[in-house]
Amino acid sequence: MLKKRFEPVEGRNQEIIETVMNCSDVDSLPENIKFKIRLCVEEVEENILCYSGTTWVELGVWIDNSQLNIRFRDGGVEFNPLDNGEPDLEAPVEKRQIGGLGILICKKMMSEIVYTYKDRSNSLLMKLNLNA
Amino acid sequence: MDLQITTGEGKTFATLKGRLDTTNASQFQQDMAPLMELEHPDIEIDCSDMEYTSSQGLRLFLMLQKAVSLKNGNMVMKNMRPEVKEVFDITGFSNIIKIQ
Repeated sequence: MLKKRFEPVEGRNQEIIETVMNCSDVDSLPENIKFKIRLCVEEVEENILCYSGTTWVELGVWIDNSQLNIRFRDGGVEFNPLDNGEPDLEAPVEKRQIGGLGILICKKMMSEIVYTYKDRSNSLLMKLNLNA
Repeated sequence: MDLQITTGEGKTFATLKGRLDTTNASQFQQDMAPLMELEHPDIEIDCSDMEYTSSQGLRLFLMLQKAVSLKNGNMVMKNMRPEVKEVFDITGFSNIIKIQ
């Protein structure tokens, strides 16, 4: 299991992504799975670093029963991205909005996403079934 | 992400190479400005060497498609890798951008 705290977080976007990608539980996975992981990690951490106002991020990565778990904790404002409405995928191009794409990608690519808020910390756990 | 733009026979050909993510989306937006400014856009984008796009990249392709549609132009993205195509599919972008 990888557990690492980043503080401060400013300008460390790529470092956080590469920490996930280089950890042994992820590095050994097939390229098509790593593509999904990189994408979802980028989408989540960009939201956290750009909008939450947090000064720290705690990252956890582990495999449990053939399921990859990636957890982000941060001390930013309470925000459940899963509560946001999904963009209208049927809207014509002139009415398509640019918001909400990141979390939509995560929802579609991961097996499950769980959000909790506890002890003044947001926690977003992404689960990916490696046998699927 | 490298973007090469050429013109010929009334069409504009663009070639994408590399990864499009938060680190280079801003630069790519500047690079694609000539495509946004075409008066009569008829654009063919070769995506065979596009390795990755995040939602930042999707936003830029949406901007470009909106600009093209506004001028009643045409844009097609070709030879997209399956993993990149999946990103376009799950976000519904395959419905609003022509992909071959």
